[in-house]
Amino acid sequence: MNLSKWGEFVPKILLVEDNEMNRDMLSRRLQRKGFQVIIAVDGAQGVAMAQADAPDLILMDMSLPVLDGWEATRQLKASAPTRSIPIIALTAHAMSGDQERALQAGCDHYDTKPIELPRLLEKINALLNKDTAR
Amino acid sequence: MPATRIHHLYEMLHYWSDTFARLPLTNLKEVGQTAVTLISSILNYQVSALLIKDGDKEPSLLASKGIDRQLLSMWNLEESLLQHLWSECEAPAIVECTTLPAELASSAERLGLKGVFLHVPLRATVEHKENLIGFAVAAQPRGDWDLESDLKALGIISGFVAGAITGCTMRALLIESTVSKKYVDSIIKSMSDTMIVVDSDRRIRTVNQATLTLLGYLPQELIGQPAAIILAHELPFTASRDDDSVEPDFRGNIETVYRSKEGREIPVLLSSSVLRDDRGKVSGLIYMAQDITERKRAEAELHKTKEAAEAANRAKSTFLANMSHELRTPLNAVIGYSEMLQEEAEDLGQAELIPDLKKINAAGKHLLDLINNVLDLSKIEAGKMELFLETFEISALVQDVVAVIQPLVAKRTNTLQVNCDDDLGTMRADLTKVRQSLFNLLSNASKFTEQGTISLSVSRGPASDGDWISFRVSDTGIGMTAEQTAKLFQPFAQAEASTTPKYGGTGLGLVISRRFCQMMGGDIAVQSEPGQGSAFTIKLPARILDPKSQPAAPAESTSAPLPEGAPTVLVIDDDPAARDLLQRFLGKEGFRVESAGDGEEGLRLASKLHPDAIVLDVIMPRMDGWAVVTALKAEAELADIPVVMLTIVDDKNTGFALGAADYLTKPVDRERLAAILKKHQRAIRPGCVLVVEDDAATREMLQRLLEKEGWQVGAAENGRVALELVAEKRPQLILLDLMMPEMDGFEFVEELHKHKEWRSIPVVVVTAKDITIEDRLRINGYVAKILEKAACSREALLREVRDLVAACVREGSRSNHEPQLPA
Repeated sequence: MNLSKWGEFVPKILLVEDNEMNRDMLSRRLQRKGFQVIIAVDGAQGVAMAQADAPDLILMDMSLPVLDGWEATRQLKASAPTRSIPIIALTAHAMSGDQERALQAGCDHYDTKPIELPRLLEKINALLNKDTAR
Repeated sequence: MPATRIHHLYEMLHYWSDTFARLPLTNLKEVGQTAVTLISSILNYQVSALLIKDGDKEPSLLASKGIDRQLLSMWNLEESLLQHLWSECEAPAIVECTTLPAELASSAERLGLKGVFLHVPLRATVEHKENLIGFAVAAQPRGDWDLESDLKALGIISGFVAGAITGCTMRALLIESTVSKKYVDSIIKSMSDTMIVVDSDRRIRTVNQATLTLLGYLPQELIGQPAAIILAHELPFTASRDDDSVEPDFRGNIETVYRSKEGREIPVLLSSSVLRDDRGKVSGLIYMAQDITERKRAEAELHKTKEAAEAANRAKSTFLANMSHELRTPLNAVIGYSEMLQEEAEDLGQAELIPDLKKINAAGKHLLDLINNVLDLSKIEAGKMELFLETFEISALVQDVVAVIQPLVAKRTNTLQVNCDDDLGTMRADLTKVRQSLFNLLSNASKFTEQGTISLSVSRGPASDGDWISFRVSDTGIGMTAEQTAKLFQPFAQAEASTTPKYGGTGLGLVISRRFCQMMGGDIAVQSEPGQGSAFTIKLPARILDPKSQPAAPAESTSAPLPEGAPTVLVIDDDPAARDLLQRFLGKEGFRVESAGDGEEGLRLASKLHPDAIVLDVIMPRMDGWAVVTALKAEAELADIPVVMLTIVDDKNTGFALGAADYLTKPVDRERLAAILKKHQRAIRPGCVLVVEDDAATREMLQRLLEKEGWQVGAAENGRVALELVAEKRPQLILLDLMMPEMDGFEFVEELHKHKEWRSIPVVVVTAKDITIEDRLRINGYVAKILEKAACSREALLREVRDLVAACVREGSRSNHEPQLPA
């Protein structure tokens, strides 16, 4: 568990996103909201970091190089140490099919791009609270 | 848009091709009248006219459409204009009225030739010289149409018309018995169409000069040779069993191919007449054929242009889809960073920056909306939009939408009234698309209304009418004129270009919503008056079947088991949702439904199943409905199956002219469809047949023939007697002559149709009359088939009737009815 200098719980979020601009934007905004953000730029790196760094939550872009978001999710959900990490899929607009596929692959939730931060925060907090309550 | 215009012209030429081929060669006036009707229909021009010039005589008006009758009488007063056109317009031309000399321009305007008119000369080859025999004119007030394509189309039509006019003139001369042989010979020689006379063994007896020129033979190389030497394909002929004669097995004109001496294949339009000796025995045949190479080439070119336009359209859609994606990525950054900066500015206490950042953010979001709309539309047009069906509570959807729309409604101080039925229950549809459509209607209503009321009413239709959900959104806003509503559902044509800056939006929202609803088997309707507000109604089936999980299903998959003898209906439609809806509905109505996703499969199933009726969509890729109905009617085995056309194009006459039994516009009024199918349902068993014919010999012959086939035969010498007999005992089939004393065949079918219980009796017209288009339209829908005595020998006629009766018998046993033997 990550704690701030003041001893508060600081959730660690793994952001898996290949687009540099989206990555920069979202990580900075999340950091300002008090999250610790670690970054992976493709699916394979995402899986490796999830195993090594034990994040509290993963934000997963779906169209990723090397290993796509669906496959990365399947691998994470298939392995015991990472199975319980909640994953939010980030999918493109109007691709309703992608959302269904994301849930089928084992994602706990999804949100559409472009990101509306308040909406995404709500989902992140809901999943983190469920996690800590357990 | 030129691509659309070419597409339209090509379709129209295609629809009417059969009528072209059947231009009557008996009556010049009729050729003229049919031609101007065709020109007006195909080009959709206000005025069309045909002028002809006979030898050295003054040019005269053969036929016209769209010219006021009074003005018509003045036509002769406008000789200077005629002379001008004649001398100045040797080639096809687009004439701007403003370019005419002043006095001619006013002449033209008096005749209705306003704005711009197309002018195409009619030419015929007589005595080896190509002569101008007249010209075709079509006029319209200024428009933004593709005049070059129109001119091409008019050129194609004019080719037919010139041929028919020459044919008419020749025929008139040939049948004049007083004309000397020498005179006839000189005419035959000079004809531009080829003419070949063959004897009863189909050996060539006479050819004219045009034939020799076209095919490159010398007379002695052809005379005495079998006709097959020049026919690339066997013509559909039948040898009579009784004597050595042959009979053409086709009516009107057919397209076939001649082979020249060097083996070159030449497409021709061929008509054939039978020569008889004094005792009425067939002594030979005349083939008249017109070289249609040029026309074929023009058609192919038009077809190619159309294909290219379609390919370009597809490429455009794909490009848009890709481009929209590329546009969205940088836009995400604009929206995201401007949002971030707002947060940052707040944190740093720099509130003065926030309004500007909000503007950047709002503009970005607006741009994103536009791009999303364009993407949606291009996906729909490229056929890549899919449905994700789920079952959901209707009232929950309404609450959800109302909550989202409320702030927008309040923005212009409007109030929102919601009237929902209590027990709306659930529906199965694509929730996102229903929500988006509903949201679109409500946000439009909010945009165009100020300090007014916006109402949303949701109801479930009575189950008897199928299970439908309607969402009606009405407002008390600015409303629209009829002209504006007409443009409403066209992409890129927001009611007024000037509304865009004031109200914003792409004007695509409604187009997209409507396409969504149509994808789900429903539609959006609009009612509006300027100043009175507007009302939009979304109507959707309550249960949309998933086209993927229920593919063009064979009849076995329909839920309710159908009785063994249920009549079969073949549904041909490329839209899986439409097929499913019809299948479910017709299944409930007690029909066994088979379906086909395209024209070719439809034709294949039609020959395999011989269904009782066919429901046919018009607009389909590759082979459209018109082509399918033409193919069906050309196939003797299938020609008698009634075809009901379903389309969004309201063009009844085209359908009837091609032989459709009935015609419905989409969205389908299902009760009407059921009624029509029941009307055409054939349940004839060998029972009794009524022969209505004034000629005693023919009547008795038919009677004897039919009795031999096991039918009970009633005979009547005119329509009045026939009606009495029908009242006495309802026959299963009526064979009807058209020309009869006292009450003729036309009157008879009309009378018959006044009685509801007699409407379903199939009527087969057997007539010596030349059937004109008007005749056809007059009796179409009333009669099942028309046999022309003139084009049929006695033997061929008997065979036709025998086949038809046999079809009825087959039908009877196939539908598993007890064969009812005649008394």
